[in-house]
Amino acid sequence: MKPAENIEEFVRLEKPHVMTGPKMDKRTLKDAFAAMNETLGANKPNVARRILRSRAAKLAAAAAIIVSVGLLMVYRNPPAPPKPLHTVRVAKSPAEMLTGMSLNMAWRRGGIEAIDEQSSRAFKMLNAKPAKATIQELLVELNGV
Amino acid sequence: MAVSLIGRADLMFDEKILVWRFNRGSKEAFQMIYEKYKDDLLGLAITLLRDSSLAEDVVHDVFVSFAGTTGTFHLSGTLKGYLSTCVANAARDKNRLRSRRDVGLDAAEAMPSDSGDPTEHAMDTEQSGRLMHLLEHLPYEQREVVLLHLHQEMRFKEIAKARGISINTVQSRYRYGLDKLRSIMNSEVIQ
Repeated sequence: MKPAENIEEFVRLEKPHVMTGPKMDKRTLKDAFAAMNETLGANKPNVARRILRSRAAKLAAAAAIIVSVGLLMVYRNPPAPPKPLHTVRVAKSPAEMLTGMSLNMAWRRGGIEAIDEQSSRAFKMLNAKPAKATIQELLVELNGV
Repeated sequence: MAVSLIGRADLMFDEKILVWRFNRGSKEAFQMIYEKYKDDLLGLAITLLRDSSLAEDVVHDVFVSFAGTTGTFHLSGTLKGYLSTCVANAARDKNRLRSRRDVGLDAAEAMPSDSGDPTEHAMDTEQSGRLMHLLEHLPYEQREVVLLHLHQEMRFKEIAKARGISINTVQSRYRYGLDKLRSIMNSEVIQ
């Protein structure tokens, strides 16, 4: 064995074996537990601190802030309601209004009501049908009396 | 070598679990750490300071300040290495204070221990007493490196990192320390 190893071995083997006394253990543990309590009390879970520590929580908090700001902006400045479509009614002659094609288009647009409306308008323009007719007037019309 | 590496890995794993529990405020984990290392650390402090009372204070202070780190403690090496470094640093501070007060080692030895029972700290063999006597002749820095390496099983790299000095400085302190011990022992044998 080398001299250096000898001396190393000597020091290693002669390690003193000591034991702490119960008084020391009690004192140390008591003070250490008090220190732990103090630290734990000071570091109570704080939501803001937890958010700052966790990366995922940081991202979630940022997303929540962005969403809430967006919602706030939407509620404060709601988008303008869509303007009703302005349709231009093209003037047609009563004859055109009563053609098969025109009535067909009216049917497609609004069914029987649309045909009725279109016909009424055409008859109104022609003045061909009285708005109201009594039985006597009709009889007079038929009998010529 | 492989067995020693596996053993070290197991130890580090156990320590990681203990530290994890300690960081979650487990007093039981802290007590387990204390029970595991208290005697070893007290032995180191006594060998460094040669004063039971001061050594007890050092170990007490180290464990109390360690307890105060619960929740934020981060272990990079071994727990034993960390605590041994803390004890060595605290012992150095105490030693400096003692030097300023001009209290010699002989006078300090006479200081009573807090335990009240002098046999509790008594060195178990005459050989240990002899080692203490030999180490007394080494400068504090050399004594510290020799003890941290041979008794606390810390690597030179760990000691260098903990002390904030280069690994070469640690190795040369160790070598000079051993050379001095050897020359003292040889001169004692000749006498």
